[in-house]
Amino acid sequence: MSADTVSARARPRARPLITGKMIAPYLFILPNMLIFGLFTIYPAFSMFRISWYDSKDGRRFRPVGMENYVEIFSSAEFFSVAFNTVLFTVAFVLLTVVGSTALAVMLNDKFRGRGFFRAVIFLPTLLSAVVVGLLWGWILERTNGLLNVALDAIGLGQPGWLTDGNLTRWVIVAVGLWIHSGFYALIMLSGLQGIDPSVYEAAQIDGAGRWRTFTQITWPLLRPTALVVIILSMISGFQAFDFIWTLTGGGPVGATTLMVQFIYQKAFESPVRYGLASAGAVVLFIVVFAFTVLSFLNGRRQEAA
Amino acid sequence: MITTRWTSVSARRVGPYEVIRYVILIVITLLILGPLVWTLLSSFKTEAELASRPPQPFPQQLNLDNYTGAMERFPFATYLKNSVIVTVGATLLTVVINTMCAYGLAKYNFRGRNFLFLLVLATIMIPLQVILIPVYQMMARFDLVDTYLGLIIPPAATPTGVFLLRQYMLGLPDELIEAARVDGASEFGIFARIIVPLCGAPIAVVTIFSVVWRWNDFLWPLVISQSSEMYTLPVALAQFNSELIVPFNYILAMSVVSMLPVIIIFLFLQRKIVTGIAATGLK
Repeated sequence: MSADTVSARARPRARPLITGKMIAPYLFILPNMLIFGLFTIYPAFSMFRISWYDSKDGRRFRPVGMENYVEIFSSAEFFSVAFNTVLFTVAFVLLTVVGSTALAVMLNDKFRGRGFFRAVIFLPTLLSAVVVGLLWGWILERTNGLLNVALDAIGLGQPGWLTDGNLTRWVIVAVGLWIHSGFYALIMLSGLQGIDPSVYEAAQIDGAGRWRTFTQITWPLLRPTALVVIILSMISGFQAFDFIWTLTGGGPVGATTLMVQFIYQKAFESPVRYGLASAGAVVLFIVVFAFTVLSFLNGRRQEAA
Repeated sequence: MITTRWTSVSARRVGPYEVIRYVILIVITLLILGPLVWTLLSSFKTEAELASRPPQPFPQQLNLDNYTGAMERFPFATYLKNSVIVTVGATLLTVVINTMCAYGLAKYNFRGRNFLFLLVLATIMIPLQVILIPVYQMMARFDLVDTYLGLIIPPAATPTGVFLLRQYMLGLPDELIEAARVDGASEFGIFARIIVPLCGAPIAVVTIFSVVWRWNDFLWPLVISQSSEMYTLPVALAQFNSELIVPFNYILAMSVVSMLPVIIIFLFLQRKIVTGIAATGLK
C-alpha cells in the first residue's frame, strides 16, 4: 500500500491524478452502499457477536460464551418452534411446487379468460399479509366465522380451525399458499414460456398424451425454474411471520409459533433476551443458508446427470 | 342438438381437460375473490348486520359509517398518514439511491466493482427478519427509534432494485456516455440527463415494487414504532385486532383502505408488474 503511494508520487504529473471519472462511481454507489453497510452487512456480523452475550435491556451486555446456544438447544420451547417451522416449510414448499406448476401449465396455452385468471391468482401476493391473516382469522372463527356458519348450516359441524392445533398447522399452510402461490406460478410460467415449442412437435407426432408430454418433456425442461421456486419458497417459508401473527398469534398453545416469531418475542417482549434471540437468529440463518446451498448443488447435480 | 353442432363447428376442441381446467380455475378464483368481496361488502354493514344470523351477503344500505367512525373515533387518519409518508419517502429514497448505485456498478470500471455487486446480491440472502436485533440496536445508536427516518431508511437500499436496474443499464450503449463526456458533460449530468430518461421502464418497476413492499411492511414498522402515534396502517390493524378495543366493523373498513391502493395500482399496472417479476424472478 505505502509502496504504491510512493511510486505514484514519484511519477511526473502529466495529467491530474484524480479525475471526475475516477471518483464518480464511488460517489454514485455511496448512498446505497452506506445504508447496506450500516443496516445489513454490519448487523449481519454483529448478530453473531450478540449471540455470545446476554442482555436484559439492550444496553449492558454480559459475555456468556456458548450459554445462549446451550440454552436454546436444551429448551423444549425451541424444539417445538423448530418442529413447527420445519413442518410448515416442508409442507409449504412441496405444495407450492406442485400447485404453482399445475397453475402455470393450466395458464400457459391460449384460452378465453386466461388473462383474467392470471391476474386473479397473482392478486393476493400484493395484499398486506397482516390484513390477509386478519381477514382469514375472521372467516375461520369458531362459532361466528363465515365458513363455520356455512358448514353448520349444511350439518358439517364447526371444526376448530384456529383452536385445534393439528388443524391450525394446516390452516397456516393453506393461507400461506393462498397468499404466495400466484407469485410462484408466475415464475413457473416464465419458465414454461422459455421452452421452445418445437420440442412438443415430436411428442405430438408420437401421439403422447398430456401427462406423458408433461413428465417426459415439460418437467425436465422446467427443472431449473422449479429450483428457483424451491429456493425462494423455502426462504419465505422459514421466515413466515406476518400473516400468522394476525391469523393465529402463534397459537393455539404455540402450535403455530415459528422461528421469526420466537426471535421477535425473545428480543422485544418481556422478559427481553437479546442474546438468546440472536442465537435463534444465527441458527435460522445457518439453516436457511445450508438448505439454499444444498438445493442449489442438488439442482446442479441433476442437471449435469 | 344445437349445442353439439356448436362444439363441432368451433375451431378449438373442447375435451375433458379443458372442462376440468375451467372448473379448477373458477374454484380458485372464487377462493381468492370470495373473501375479498365479502370483506368489501361487510365493511358497509352495521355492527348489528355483521352479527346477524344467517349472515346477509349485502348491506342494507351503502353506509360509510365504519370508514368515518374509524377515522373519527380512533386515530386511523394518523396511521394512514404515517403509511403514506413512509411509503412515499422510502420509495423516493429507494429509486434515487438504487438508480445511482446501479449506474455506478453498470457503467464504470473500478477496483472492487464485481465484489461490490456480488455483495449486493448476497444481501438478498440476509433478510431483515434475521438481523432484526442488530439493526434495531443500530437505529437506537442513531436515535432513530420511533421516527419516520427510522421507518424509512433501513429497508430503502433494496438489492432487488439495484439488480434490476443494473441489468437494464448494461444494455445501454457506452457510446452515448462517451459522446457526452467529449462534449464536456459532467459525470452527474450524464447520469441525470441521459441515463435516467432512458431507464423509465425499470424505474417504473422498482417504484411499483417499492410502493407495494413499503405499504404492506409489518415486522420492521412493528419493531421501530414504539409509540402508537408512529404506527403504520398494518401495525395498527394488527395491534388493535388482537387487543379487541376497536370494534371489528372499523377494523374491516380500515382493512379495505389498506388493500385498496394496491388493488388500484394492480388494475392499472398489472402488465408492468407481471413482466417485472418474470424478468427478475424476484419479489
